[in-house]
Amino acid sequence: MAFLVLSHVSKAFGQTQAVKDFNLEVEKGEFISFLGPSGCGKTTTLRMIAGFEQPTEGQILLEGEDITFRPPHQRNVGMVFQSYALFPNMTVAQNIAFGLEVRKMDRAKIKERVHEVLSLIQLEDYGGRYPYQLSGGQQQRVALARALAIRPRLLLLDEPLSALDAKIRLELRQEIRRIQQALGITTIYVTHDQEEALSLSDRIVVMNQGQIEQIGTPFEIYNYPQSEFVASFVGQLNLLPVEVLDLSKNICRVAGQEIRFTPTTNSILKSGKVRLAIRPEEIRLGMVEGENLLRGEIASVIFLGSIIRLRVKLGEGILISVDQFNERHFQPPRPGEVVTLHFPIHACWLL
Amino acid sequence: MKRNLRLGLLWSWFWMILGWLYFLLPLLATFLFSLRAKKDTLSFLAYERVFKDPNFWKTFAFSLEIGLITILAGLVLIVPTAYWIRLRLPRLRMITEFVSMLPFVVPAIVLVFGLIRVFSGAPFYLTNTYMGTNALLVAAYIVLALPYLYRAIDTGLAAIDVRALTEAAQSLGAGWPVILLRIILPNLRVAMISAAFLTLATVMGEFTIASFLVGIKAFGPYMSLVGQNKTYESSSLAIISFVLTWAFMGFIQLFSRGRAEAAPPGAH
Repeated sequence: MAFLVLSHVSKAFGQTQAVKDFNLEVEKGEFISFLGPSGCGKTTTLRMIAGFEQPTEGQILLEGEDITFRPPHQRNVGMVFQSYALFPNMTVAQNIAFGLEVRKMDRAKIKERVHEVLSLIQLEDYGGRYPYQLSGGQQQRVALARALAIRPRLLLLDEPLSALDAKIRLELRQEIRRIQQALGITTIYVTHDQEEALSLSDRIVVMNQGQIEQIGTPFEIYNYPQSEFVASFVGQLNLLPVEVLDLSKNICRVAGQEIRFTPTTNSILKSGKVRLAIRPEEIRLGMVEGENLLRGEIASVIFLGSIIRLRVKLGEGILISVDQFNERHFQPPRPGEVVTLHFPIHACWLL
Repeated sequence: MKRNLRLGLLWSWFWMILGWLYFLLPLLATFLFSLRAKKDTLSFLAYERVFKDPNFWKTFAFSLEIGLITILAGLVLIVPTAYWIRLRLPRLRMITEFVSMLPFVVPAIVLVFGLIRVFSGAPFYLTNTYMGTNALLVAAYIVLALPYLYRAIDTGLAAIDVRALTEAAQSLGAGWPVILLRIILPNLRVAMISAAFLTLATVMGEFTIASFLVGIKAFGPYMSLVGQNKTYESSSLAIISFVLTWAFMGFIQLFSRGRAEAAPPGAH
C-alpha cells in the first residue's frame, strides 16, 4: 500500500464544489506538486491532508491509518505556509523548539534538535533573533526548519515561495529540494508556478476546477499533456485551427498550408473542435527538407532576454508564437517581413 | 510664494495655540483655584484634605478593585470570543462590532434601571446582597467597557495572522489551551494593556451606574458629592482625576511604544 492514499476525496463549501473525486497514491519519499490556477482546489486538498478541512466524501490514509477526521494536532504532519506564520513573540530557536516542547521532549534533546535543523537551513547563528529581524527568505527557511524539527511523517508546503522576490525564490527552491532529498521526507507542494512544479517534483498533479487533469512526471506533463488545459497551463502552446484532410495519413491544413502531424487517437477527433498543438520552442526560422513548413508574416518581435518571441501571422486571425534562443550575433527579423518556419512532424499533435 | 508659506505657517501656529488655550485655560484656572483653599496664599491644602479623607481612599480602593475585576472578567469574556470570531466565524464580525457599540447608544441610566428591574426580583435576587450588587456592578461595567475592550482586542488580533498562527501551532501538535496561552495571548499583550487601561479609566470615573447600585461607596459618586459640598476640594479632585487619566494614557503609550520601537523599519 502506498504511503499516503487519497481516495475519492471531495469537498464542498455550501453549494461550491471545491474538490471533486480526488484520487492519489503517494509513495514514501516522493515529492509531489499540486499545480493549478487559483481556485482549482489544490490548497483545499492540502488542507484536508493537514486536517484543517474535513472532506465531505472520501478517505485519507497515512501509512495505512485512516486520518480523515483526525484533528490536525494529532497527525504529525509538518506544514509551511505562504505567510511564514512564525510566532512573532518567540525567537527563531523558540519557534523551532515549540513543536518539541508541546511533545514534552527532554530539554537537552530539544537544544540538540534545534541546533541540528538550524544548521540544516544554514542559519546557525540566528537562533536568538526574532522573526521581524529576518528577511522574508530567512523567515521561510525558519518556518521550514520548524516544520522539520518535529520529524513529521509528511511535509506540506502551501505556496511557500509566492511572497518572495524572484532571486530568493530560486535559491530557496533549490534548498527545499536539497533538504527534501537529504531527509527523504515525503512532501506535497502546492503551487501555481509551473516552473517550480517542473523543477522540484517527482510527480505533478495538475488540477483545474476541483478535479485532477493529469498526474505524471514533469517530463510527461510537459511533453505529453493529456488535455488542452494541461497543455496550455504548463508552458506556452500554440493552438491553431485546422482542417483534417486525411486522417489515415495524418495530414491536415493550417491557414491553407499542409501539415503532417503525430498520429492521434480518434477519441479526440470525435470531440468536434480540433486544433493543432505545437510548443513555440519547437519551431525554427528557415527551411529544412522533410519537416513541416509554414510561411507567414512577422507581426511582432518581443525581446525576453534569453529568448526572443516572434509572433507570426499565418492567415487572417491566425497567429503562431515562435521562440528563438537569443544569440549576440542573431539579427531578429523585422515586423512585416515574410518568413518560413519549420518544425519536425513529431513536434505537433492534434488536440 | 515664500511669503505665502510663512503666512500659512503663522496661521497653523495661531490655530494650534488657540486650540491649546481652549483645553488648557480651564484646567489651569481649576488648578489655580484648587490652590486657594488657604486665604491669600497659594497652598496644597485642598489636596491635603482630599488625601486625608479616609473616604477618598476607601472609595478609590473600591473602584480600583471593581475596575480590576472588570478588566479580568472582560478579557476572559472578550479575548476568546473575538479570537474565535476571527478564526471561525468571520461573518459574525459585523454583528459583534455593532453589538459592541451599543453601550454608546444606550444611556447608562437606562442600563442601570434595566439591571435593577431584572435583577432585584425573582428569579435573580442579586441586588439584595453585597456580593450580588458588586457582581452586577462588574457586569454593568463590562457592558459599558465593551466598545473599548472589543475594539482594542479585535485590532490586536487584526495585527497578527490569527488563522495562520493557529494552524501552524496545530500542525506542530498544540491543542487549544497551548495555542491560546503561548501564541495568542503573548501577541495580544499591547492590545490587552490598552483595553485594560481604557476600562480602568472608564470605571474609575463612572457615576450613573455606581450611584444607583452602590451609592457613595464608589469613587465616581464620592467625587460628585465632594464637588457639591466642598468648593476647593472639588477642584483638586478634578485635577487628580485628570492626572490619573493622563497617567493611564501615558502607560498605554509607553507599553505600545516599547513594542513598536523594537521592530526596525522595513523588516519583514
